[in-house]
Amino acid sequence: MMETVIEVRDLVNSFGDQVVHDGLCLDVRRDEILGVVGGSGSGKSVLLRSILGLQKPKSGTITVLGQKIEYHQPGPSRCWGVLFQAGALLSGLTVQQNVELPIALHSDMPVETRHELASLKLLMVGLSLSVADKYPSELSGGMKKRVSLARALALEPKILFLDEPTAGLDPIGATAFDELITYLQGNLDLTVVMITHDVDSLFNTCHRIAVLVDGKVKIGTVEEILQSDHPWIKSYFGVPRAQRARLAI
Amino acid sequence: MNNAFLSIESHPDSLIVNVKGQWIFDEVLALEEAVAGVLPEPGQKVTFKCAGLDNIDIAGAWVLYDCTEQLSVLEIESELVGFKAAHFKFLQHIIDVAAIREYEEPDSEPEPRHLIREKVELFGGAMSTHIEDLGAIARSILDGVRRPSLIIIGETIKQVYYTGVQAIPVVVVITFLIGIVTAHQAAGQLEKFGATVLVVDLVSISITREMGVLLAAVMVAGRSGSAFAASLGVMKLNEEVDAMRVLGLNPNQMLVIPRILGLVIALPVLTIFADIAGIAGGALIAVGSLGISGLQFVERVAFSTDLSDFYVGLVKAPVFALLIAMIGTLRGMQVRFSAEELGLKTTMAVVQSIFMIIVADALFATLFTRMGI
Ligand SMILES: Nc1ncnc2c1ncn2[C@@H]1O[C@H](COP(=O)(O)OP(=O)(O)OP(=O)(O)O)[C@@H](O)[C@H]1O
Ligand SMILES: [Mg+2]
Repeated sequence: MMETVIEVRDLVNSFGDQVVHDGLCLDVRRDEILGVVGGSGSGKSVLLRSILGLQKPKSGTITVLGQKIEYHQPGPSRCWGVLFQAGALLSGLTVQQNVELPIALHSDMPVETRHELASLKLLMVGLSLSVADKYPSELSGGMKKRVSLARALALEPKILFLDEPTAGLDPIGATAFDELITYLQGNLDLTVVMITHDVDSLFNTCHRIAVLVDGKVKIGTVEEILQSDHPWIKSYFGVPRAQRARLAI
Repeated sequence: MNNAFLSIESHPDSLIVNVKGQWIFDEVLALEEAVAGVLPEPGQKVTFKCAGLDNIDIAGAWVLYDCTEQLSVLEIESELVGFKAAHFKFLQHIIDVAAIREYEEPDSEPEPRHLIREKVELFGGAMSTHIEDLGAIARSILDGVRRPSLIIIGETIKQVYYTGVQAIPVVVVITFLIGIVTAHQAAGQLEKFGATVLVVDLVSISITREMGVLLAAVMVAGRSGSAFAASLGVMKLNEEVDAMRVLGLNPNQMLVIPRILGLVIALPVLTIFADIAGIAGGALIAVGSLGISGLQFVERVAFSTDLSDFYVGLVKAPVFALLIAMIGTLRGMQVRFSAEELGLKTTMAVVQSIFMIIVADALFATLFTRMGI
């Protein structure tokens, strides 16, 4: 029996009369990389925001690491790291300070240790320390993503949430990013939930895939999802780009 | 030595360090202390036996790696055995990469030429202390993060600077000009009655009771009300506010309270500047073109204007500040989806705060009249 770290039960989210989630259930297992896919507007980001307590669901319960998530209440912030779709670095702080912030908030480390650990995280995500004193506005989109990943990793989280981590990266950068995630996940006690449109990432990195269709989730390994005869899933993996990625593995 | 993380056996030519327990992020402080106790004699070879490790993460591996690095600086041989290699290799890899990269990066400072060398060094020295100071300030603000009250104080001081200190020139100029205008208009009417000297009364009373604080508040609403709404709005759009929540910070505490506090401190001070500048504007006209002497002007101001007039103006300032800051931050926090909404909310913040200032001023006027002040 595998341990579940995130448990979503009967989640309902709607805006006006548009129902985004309709009794959605999802279990994320410990130490897996779960890919989340779905068409634009299918509610991937809303699902992530609900899990993080940033969105008030109409109904349903969400538990993360045994702790029930309440809207706008402090969640298990010590145990998770989040890479937002746009990076969401704090614009008033430098790169170094952005990465140090969570450490400063959640530990009693002296300044030098904190500084060195933050530098280590920056190196780990493939940044050079010459960016440390820059402000987020001075970085390229891909660099912002990396800094944001360094910040998400600052506390050695148990769960890492990634909202479209490779969108907007060049293919080399995207591949390196995927490799980094796989490497980290393989060497640390880490669960990854990754929203992505990148079919390469899905096939090469993810252990299981959750597809958001009709306000619910279909979940399974890559092979199981490919067997599915749901029309949207068929057409999603049937498009030429996806087929090329499939051939590549 | 023996503790939860290390047990050390000393042999004549080697030091065996058994590494055990939880080498994780939460224990870094204790780990660094423990590692500081590894003190080999000269000639001893250090062996870290890692088989007893329960758990290790990157932070823990880093402490261990750092220890071996420091030993190698002291030219003491060390080795790691029984270690789950992944982390260590990983760290080694990162640090090698960093070393290569720093090596490849061209030196950004060109060699200074001999002639100007001294000056360059002097300048460089001054700059680097400057940068160090700035860094120290930033660091101290960051340190304050752990104790919310401290960071709030830091942010509040910043806001006093942005909304108060930076607004002094514009507020002073505007009220000075209004002082001139008021004096001119009053002189035109009062000269007909041969009561030119009353211009002084009129200027000093109207500026201290009404115009000074009102002008300062309207300027601040235009400058800072809009700045509050726009900066918080952009932070909402960038998901910065969400990121703060996810990190366990309370955005209201971090963003809203310092702005409100800062403005409540800044506006009364600005009002004092405005009062002085307005009266100075009146004095310029009175002395320059109405033939009132400087001494006469001062006497007249002292005679006509009570301290209570000054206070009547001043007590309104914190109330206006509260209105501006609350409306500005609230509108900013309401921004949700688009840049268009950002513009809309910013406009709303300014218009509504000026409107509310004038409504409040009217209420104050009625109240003070009733009270007979
Ligand atoms: N605050 C909100 N108010 C109204 N509607 C919303 C709100 N947030 C999201 N929606 C709607 O919910 C639906 C799901 O949005 P969501 O952002 O989760 O999509 P997504 O799956 O992440 O899409 P993408 O792949 O483009 O990022 C969309 O149709 C969107 O219009
Ligand atoms: Mg999205």
